[in-house]
Amino acid sequence: MKRLGKGIVSIGEIMVFAVLMLYSLVFIIYPMLIVVVESFHDPKTQAFSLNNYIKFFTDAYYYQCLMNSIIAAILTILVTTLLGIPLAYILARYRLAGKTLYTALSLLPILLPPYVGAFAFIILFGKMGTINLLLMQSGLIKQPINFLYGLHGLVFVETVHLLPFIVLTASAGITQIDPSFEEAAEVAGASGLRRALTITLPLITPQYASGVFLVFSYVLGDWLTPLILGQKDYLATVAFLNLAYHFTDIERKYMGIIAAVLASLFSVAFLLFVRAYVERKSYAALSKGTTAEGRVIPISGAKKIVAYLYVFFIMVLVLLSPFVITIAAFSRRWILTPFPEYYTFENIRMLFIELPSYIQNTIVFSIVALLLAFPVALGTGYILTRTNIPGKNILDGIIASVLAIPGIMMGIGYLIGFDYPLPFLGESLSRIWLIMPLVLTARRLPYMTRTTHASFLQLEKSLEEAAMVSGASKLRTFFNITLPLILKGVFAGMILFLVMAIQEISSTIFLYRPGWETLPIGIYLQWNRGTEFGVPAAAAFILIVFTLILLLIFSKTGQKVMGGAFVAA
Amino acid sequence: MNVGQEFVKLVNVVKTYKKVTAVAGISLSINKGELVTFLGPSGCGKTTTLRLIAGLEVPDSGEIYINNILVSAPEKGVFVPPHKRGIGMVFQNYAVWPHMTVFENIAYGLKLQKLPKEEIARRVKEALDLVGLSGLGDRYPTQLSGGQQQRVALARALVTRPQLLLLDEPLSNLDAKLRERMRFEIRSLVKNLGLTAVYVTHDQAEALVISDRIVVMNHGKIEQVGKPEEVYRKPANRFVADFIGVANFIPVTVKKITENFQGIVVTEDGAIIRCTVSSRLRENDKAYLLIRPEDIILYKDSPPSENTLPVKVAHRVYLGNMNYYWLNYNEIEFRVQTSPDFEASEGEQVYAFLKPDKAIALPE
Repeated sequence: MKRLGKGIVSIGEIMVFAVLMLYSLVFIIYPMLIVVVESFHDPKTQAFSLNNYIKFFTDAYYYQCLMNSIIAAILTILVTTLLGIPLAYILARYRLAGKTLYTALSLLPILLPPYVGAFAFIILFGKMGTINLLLMQSGLIKQPINFLYGLHGLVFVETVHLLPFIVLTASAGITQIDPSFEEAAEVAGASGLRRALTITLPLITPQYASGVFLVFSYVLGDWLTPLILGQKDYLATVAFLNLAYHFTDIERKYMGIIAAVLASLFSVAFLLFVRAYVERKSYAALSKGTTAEGRVIPISGAKKIVAYLYVFFIMVLVLLSPFVITIAAFSRRWILTPFPEYYTFENIRMLFIELPSYIQNTIVFSIVALLLAFPVALGTGYILTRTNIPGKNILDGIIASVLAIPGIMMGIGYLIGFDYPLPFLGESLSRIWLIMPLVLTARRLPYMTRTTHASFLQLEKSLEEAAMVSGASKLRTFFNITLPLILKGVFAGMILFLVMAIQEISSTIFLYRPGWETLPIGIYLQWNRGTEFGVPAAAAFILIVFTLILLLIFSKTGQKVMGGAFVAA
Repeated sequence: MNVGQEFVKLVNVVKTYKKVTAVAGISLSINKGELVTFLGPSGCGKTTTLRLIAGLEVPDSGEIYINNILVSAPEKGVFVPPHKRGIGMVFQNYAVWPHMTVFENIAYGLKLQKLPKEEIARRVKEALDLVGLSGLGDRYPTQLSGGQQQRVALARALVTRPQLLLLDEPLSNLDAKLRERMRFEIRSLVKNLGLTAVYVTHDQAEALVISDRIVVMNHGKIEQVGKPEEVYRKPANRFVADFIGVANFIPVTVKKITENFQGIVVTEDGAIIRCTVSSRLRENDKAYLLIRPEDIILYKDSPPSENTLPVKVAHRVYLGNMNYYWLNYNEIEFRVQTSPDFEASEGEQVYAFLKPDKAIALPE
């Protein structure tokens, strides 16, 4: 036992903390830092300079990419807010039949891989997509309408994918509001829309703000959706293309690095801005207790019909992409026809016979990543909630910062940072398959640490203290009491981690070597090769099935922790 | 068992959280076989002191001894963790482990002692019988009522035969009826087993019923230590008098102190009162005269010539076995308990006789 600050910290706890700090420094901070350092290297002389940044900002093209990304991100925030806040309000406040189902479904898009949505929308809304073909066949239009290709299409696809961030965070906020605030407003004479606009919505700012941040940082770091929609002039996309395809052109390589660094920088800056804004307004005192369900208002008449119609509209939007992908996975020749020409198991068969390694890699990498993340999350939760080790907040900050780091940045960091031969192996980490699970662990870690942390916080400390006074050491108490009691929450975090790990592509795309392809990478490669859409759709379908199986397990173990995983961002 | 021997000792113990001082230098001795209560309002440091004894908190400075062994002494680098202190503890929220059966909960400490299975089974059964939960060993805590969970917590704390039993507001989550019964049960259990026990409560009635001695605390300091009748009858100061029981205070000036702390005080309008005077008061000091509602006799006419104040009846509550009056004396409100036969109407002028052997002048 050692005295540190005000409490007692055991040698074991110090060792756990040291290992966690070492992990987060080597696998989170170091890869990020090395990319930033690299961005200051002059391409020719390798000397320290600002030349890359100067060139980036003075080059009209790259500057335009930056602006495009920011504009797309802001527009997506606006549209998700306009669509999401009413949905969140309806789901949180009104008594509707099947509410639990709608709430669960409204979260589906962020749990499904993002590119799945993009592909589905091309099939449906593309120039020769189902909608355009139907409209042309009916004679309503002569030329196909451009629903997708351009900024508007990007915002449309991103909105459908990211809507859950706003709905989830806002409804969590609305549920937590002390009913007396709204009741006081009603007594004062403000009712209906006025109450919602002047009382309810301002009160959910802290939660909504974290949703806004998640949307912003996602759009800024998204390279794949623009690419699928035929757009290249976005920050993350240009970073990806320059680094993945033009890395031999030293200048384009460095512009790619700058683009990735800037995407991260804007994302982190936005996070800090959001936090500062929320803190300045100081909402802390507002989250007084309320019931788990919050305040629920029964509705009737026209209001009820409008509420149901709106919820159904969003549900259709949400279910569209998994539905379309499923059809595509079981069909062929869905080209230039509104509906597939014939239905078959051929795509699935091809996937299982010719490309079983995609499935195998996805499962193996995700599970290895989970096994790595499990002790990290458990240790972090313990250190944060049960000890007073100075510096524990730094550990928390490092892990939380991952949420603000785009996947491409992390992928590049691992690529550059672990390209040196390791002391004992004589081989660089980037050539060992373990780098794939390692990057998955680091990238999806917050989903597990948040839920685990919440479980630790919810556990009554006296339950552990009772074991200690009964004669159990700290270690024994942890295994006999703490672990069994938080396991449910940790398990939910594990499921969420797996859901997010199996769909990961942004970081792994930079690191995979032949034979390491996962399902998402396989989907991208198949699509990029221009094969018929059936096989990538089948791969996406398998991913959706995996996700749904995981979610089914998740729904049994408790969905409550999920809100925390995102809102706490 | 050597009753009377010093068993727990605290020497100038200090504990602060960030900027708040929870325990501000407490020194205290608890004897073997004694049941001592820490009593005080919330935030007075009573629970923190208990947790310091348990080893669940580490003091900033000072020393704590249990059974003559130094268990906490930050200046000397000594800290014995809770699991090595040989204590049993009952928590306010019971802290019964929900993932274990009643049997497993109680057996936990015995298993850690690596006792043979038969011995564990026998002692758990004994403990269950002792707290009146015979036959409920297979239940899970969620299947038990609050009172039953409380008993499980008690059995769990007792089963290891601890040298010291710590109880942190163990009855505060129970309903009033059960709470009153459990007071007696806990006391007789502790006494029958000959345990040394520290009991934390904010409920003065509970403290009076259960304790051998009461430690009255406020703002992290001890205000008074004494037997229940001492803290009630001879409170050290106004805070103690006010916290325990109902207290009327009349501002007075000490006129004269004779032997055995007897003396004479004068109220603001010159009435002379004979009473006990606190040892901390000198002649001509400003003081507060404490008089309990049951130590006042009301007269409608021909009152005793001494120790009598003219008062006005503000209002009256009839409680069946007594009448309870709110009286006004020079804008000072005080309460009097009389027999149900004494009747006076609101606004009526009556005379209050303060029993000289019960009235006591206290410093602020």
